[in-house]
Amino acid sequence: MEKVVSINLNGNAFQLEEPGYVALRAYLERAAASLQENPDRAEILADIEQSIAEKCARYLNERKTVITRTEVDAILAEMGPVEAGDSQSATGSQAGAQTRTDAPKRLYQIREGAMLTGVCQGIAAYLNIDVTFVRVAFVILAFATFGAAALIYVVLAFIIPYADTTEEHAAAYGFAATAQGLIEQAKRHSESFRARQEWRRGWHWQQRAWQRHWRRHERRMRAQAPVGGSTPSMPPVPPPIAPPSYVAHAVLGVTTPIFAIVHAAAFVAWAYVLLSMLTTGTIFGWKLPVEIPVWASILILVVLYGMITAPLKALRFIGYEHQYAPYHHSFGALHGVVWLAATALFAWLAYHHIPEVHALIDNLPNAWHRTGTFNVETFLHDLEIDRLFSRQ
Amino acid sequence: MPISEKLAPLRKGLLEFVILKIIAADKVYVADMLKLLSETEFATQEGTLYPLLSKLRREELVDYEWKESEAGPPRKYYKLTAQGRTQLATLNDYWKEINRTLAQLEK
Repeated sequence: MEKVVSINLNGNAFQLEEPGYVALRAYLERAAASLQENPDRAEILADIEQSIAEKCARYLNERKTVITRTEVDAILAEMGPVEAGDSQSATGSQAGAQTRTDAPKRLYQIREGAMLTGVCQGIAAYLNIDVTFVRVAFVILAFATFGAAALIYVVLAFIIPYADTTEEHAAAYGFAATAQGLIEQAKRHSESFRARQEWRRGWHWQQRAWQRHWRRHERRMRAQAPVGGSTPSMPPVPPPIAPPSYVAHAVLGVTTPIFAIVHAAAFVAWAYVLLSMLTTGTIFGWKLPVEIPVWASILILVVLYGMITAPLKALRFIGYEHQYAPYHHSFGALHGVVWLAATALFAWLAYHHIPEVHALIDNLPNAWHRTGTFNVETFLHDLEIDRLFSRQ
Repeated sequence: MPISEKLAPLRKGLLEFVILKIIAADKVYVADMLKLLSETEFATQEGTLYPLLSKLRREELVDYEWKESEAGPPRKYYKLTAQGRTQLATLNDYWKEINRTLAQLEK
């Protein structure tokens, strides 16, 4: 039993088994791609669809209303690969004379058969070697570099885009540009497809639910924005349609960690300033003027921090806004992970290499002790009232 | 290099000539052309023929007209333009020239 997909071929409706549909779509995508430069592209594609429609009709009668996958394969084999009319490099028209032309190869993550996220699969496909070698190499590297390779894996998992469409799969393997090759590819695809269908249905449902949630959230945010006036400079963004392009994804994958690191540095510096002010009443050796109460200086610091990081945040969100909304989550997660790691690293570096920070942290228990068991009264007393009185 | 790989570009280069010849003989539609070709060494598939025809039409060598068919939607029937006829004549002459050369070299 196969799921059936209804399609429109140049104005004719047909029902195809799902794997057949996948193969046909791959064929037409390939045809459209190879006719990219052709001024009569639309017309040729219409002719081809019409011709496929006529062939489909041959397989149907009153009692047979669905085209099977085998029949689609036969039709496509009969059609032959679509060659750009002017190209000199095209192979002979007879089947069998197909050569593997080098499609532009790109590094993608491949979900099919992946252990984790498909980074190794993608690298293996790119280098045209067995995935096991890549995995073993990664594990050995991870031990040899005390875990750095594992971190690199995580970063790569975020940076390298997923191969989702047939075209992208072809690019991931540097696949033969012939339609026949794509059909083979689609066939392989549809075999693993069935096994994953159940799981996938659940996943799609979940995804849609998330998307609905996200869209609702976004609408609310957008409705609120002009009233709250918090982001007046943000232009109205068209609804996200396309997933991010390969380049956009990679750019976002690279810029997100950079923002996260800058953000972490700002945070560590800020935390140092705040702590030093609370415990010693000085900032980088500069004594706070007496007339500024501690609560006001905390407030000023918070506002300052907000002002410094606001442009960073805005930049980051502009990046997201121009991308497909659900991708927000993965880049948000990347930002979080990198931020956390960078914060820990900076804090550690500062503790070990800047004597002032070292002294401050070591003094922290004493300072805390002096502030006493934490209740509002003693806190206010110690921090502010006490000081105010003592200075009067 | 296997001989079939040497013959493929030859066939490919001649395909345009052959198509012009077929269209010159009679107004035809694509399925007719494919059927005619299928029995020859020029057997061709739609994937190749449609782009080639569109190229010929851009070069104003062929043109088509829509004709109703008894089964299904209207079909495109192709015919030669005046320019196409001239080019076919040139190609014919050239082909005879090549044949003559080949025959002479055999002696």
